[in-house]
Amino acid sequence: MSEHAAEAAPSAPGSTPRAGRSDGAWIRASSVYIAFAALVILDLIVTPGFRNPAVIRSLLFDSAPVILIALGQSLAIGTRGIDLSVGSVMALSSSVIGISLSLGQGASITFGIGAGLACGILNGLLIAVLRIDPLISSLSLLVAARGLAQALLGGARMDLPFAGPIPWLGAATISVIPVTALIALGAAILFAFVVKRTAPGHYAIYAGASRTAAFLAGQPVRATLAFVYGLSGLLAGIAGLFATARLGAADPNYIGVQFELDAIAAAVIGGTPLSGGRISVVGTIFGVLLLEVLDASFIMNDISSTYAQILKAAFIVGALYLQRAGG
Amino acid sequence: MLLETRGLGKSFGVVAALSDVSFSLRAGEVHGLMGENGAGKSTLIKLLTGFHPPSAGEILLDGTPVSFDSPRAAQAAGVAAVYQEINLIPERSVAANIFLAREPRQFGLLTNTRKMEADAAAILSRYGLAIDPRQPLRTLGLGLQQMVSIARVVSLGARVVIMDEPTSALAGAEVDILYGVVEQLRREGRGIVYVSHRLSECYRLCDRLTVLRDGRMVESATTADLPRARLVAAMLGRESTAGSAPGARPAAAATDAAAAAPIALSVRGLSWRTRVRDVSIAVRRGEILGLAGLLGAGRTETFKAIYGAETPDRGDVEIEGRRLFHARPAASIRRGLAFLSEDRRSEGIFPKLSVRANLTAAVLPRISRFGVVSRRRQTELVNRYIRELGIKTAGPEALISELSGGNQQKVLIARALCTEPRVVMLDDPTRGIDVGAKAEVHRTIRDLARKGLGVVVTSSEVEEVLELSDRLVVLNEGAIAGELETAGREPEDVLALLAAAEAPRA
Repeated sequence: MSEHAAEAAPSAPGSTPRAGRSDGAWIRASSVYIAFAALVILDLIVTPGFRNPAVIRSLLFDSAPVILIALGQSLAIGTRGIDLSVGSVMALSSSVIGISLSLGQGASITFGIGAGLACGILNGLLIAVLRIDPLISSLSLLVAARGLAQALLGGARMDLPFAGPIPWLGAATISVIPVTALIALGAAILFAFVVKRTAPGHYAIYAGASRTAAFLAGQPVRATLAFVYGLSGLLAGIAGLFATARLGAADPNYIGVQFELDAIAAAVIGGTPLSGGRISVVGTIFGVLLLEVLDASFIMNDISSTYAQILKAAFIVGALYLQRAGG
Repeated sequence: MLLETRGLGKSFGVVAALSDVSFSLRAGEVHGLMGENGAGKSTLIKLLTGFHPPSAGEILLDGTPVSFDSPRAAQAAGVAAVYQEINLIPERSVAANIFLAREPRQFGLLTNTRKMEADAAAILSRYGLAIDPRQPLRTLGLGLQQMVSIARVVSLGARVVIMDEPTSALAGAEVDILYGVVEQLRREGRGIVYVSHRLSECYRLCDRLTVLRDGRMVESATTADLPRARLVAAMLGRESTAGSAPGARPAAAATDAAAAAPIALSVRGLSWRTRVRDVSIAVRRGEILGLAGLLGAGRTETFKAIYGAETPDRGDVEIEGRRLFHARPAASIRRGLAFLSEDRRSEGIFPKLSVRANLTAAVLPRISRFGVVSRRRQTELVNRYIRELGIKTAGPEALISELSGGNQQKVLIARALCTEPRVVMLDDPTRGIDVGAKAEVHRTIRDLARKGLGVVVTSSEVEEVLELSDRLVVLNEGAIAGELETAGREPEDVLALLAAAEAPRA
């Protein structure tokens, strides 16, 4: 019965419903940009000091790591999965950087990013080989990676030296644009290329659109999932480096806490539906910028953080509603 | 009459799922309810058990009109169904499951476990079931769990027991236990509605058989008065399509040529669980082999076991003389085997993706270099097949879900052809598409054979598979029941083979 009902719609491709749908698609595809523009305009009018370049610089410094984890998140969501571990993996990367500083900053950067990649691969193998639900495997990693990060540094914060490549990453800018933001942009372009133009990227989207159809079409569904979560872990490792550099310390109790929620919200607001099969890279970046500007707006308008959380939640719900109205 | 329906009907919106069914069940009778998918069996069961209210007609219990507003109400009145999926609690004991939610109490509060277990043991032994009532339900096999379900509804006072495909999940010995239980229920004067696809089983157990098709009752007779051929014809709806399709297939010239061609696909001794039993087939280049069989005969399972979508327990598959080891869809495709699933919506299309993405889903490695997909080669393929198969679409970027069923199917056929297969297996390729598109799909399939591919095809309609194929293999309960050359044959010949098929006993 349901089959007939579902077949009926596409078998009559009338012009009216299609026109309606493309309007909806336009709203859905653009909602994040509209919301971002509206928020910026509002801030320019009401928020004192919003035009200050220092504000923009700080905002971009904060955005860079979140953009990286939101990209990985959007791909995981594109496969109809989720990666809750990214915030904790950032913290683990930070701790590994901290304990390996004695080997030189170059080596500690490598080890930090490597720790992120290792977490991602572990997560990917749990999902692809043991067939554990991504929600569960990444949730356990969320707990375990944070715990390991704290254990490595004995639960304490470790300050970084004032010179060397890591502190440089935490401060260097070109005009008002932080180097980390430029690296994040470069990573996003590379990421977009992988997703839109390469076979592994295509496979991820196919797997999100229909696992069974992908399997029957001979696609390497499991290897794809391992790749997706491995990539997400790698990006979280780099994000951990950026956050550590900005903070000037390896701090397993502070870095990446609840960042997974911002990453998920940014990806979904940006036009990557939780039902998988679609991914929007540019939308995800603007999703992050939107949330960061929102945070900054609350702080600069002296709205207490408790109310800010509620307002932010209301805003996210509003943005998602706008999208659903389009879908 | 224990249970009776008069002019019973049910519509969902404008769709009539069941209309004008007048069915009756006597005490002490086993009444077989048969029909293909979508015939209305489930709807009838749901009306009888109070799951849905009927849209028309009435239900009478002991000659009195009744209306059940919930399955609970039906159960209280003595009508209960036992489904394939067991909805009991695996972690609790057999006794606790039998008396679930109505445990015998002492002091008004505590469960009287001893009494409960004794009562459960009595019920179980009455049906010849050697089950310890204290053991947890999950420690029993699926078959015995189902018996516990039956024991539960009987102890609830069910006088009408509806069994929905009770044997579909059972192994050989468990089937015999079930038969024993059914016999005991009959002796106790209960009425049993027995839903099954297995002809031999129904002929062995049932006193009367009723066939539904397209929501209507098309046949109802005592088992002795209903020959298998007539039953099969009623299930498949011979008379409704006889006028539209030419009965006998003209002897095609291709048949002779094909007889000498080398073997494209050879399958030997293929078995998968109880669903595919020792199936051996061979298809020559340029030949169209049809697989016929009733619902549940194992057509889809045979395809999936050959293709590697399911891992067969035994058997060899060779494509053009080269054996397929460790079959997986990816390996099968590389060796030149393509498969089109009958379930287009959930196993075929990627609904959110474009025609372009759907059409090229199986050939990304071939159109990629160093992992980068060549958009140019992708576009070439898509445009070529849109043209060759006459796919009606607004363009390569249109969403596949916006296409009609027939055009979606052509995209999926194109997906298979992109892989340059030597053998294509098409599972009910014209399912759910309109008549015009059907003819085009047929033409496409014949073209494939003409180009020298081996083709294996099924259909839920006997006429169609007879018309399409050069040779026909008839499956029954997972095993080959017969084979015939289709030239000059009538659908009746196929029906005769289907009807004659004896159930292989495990």
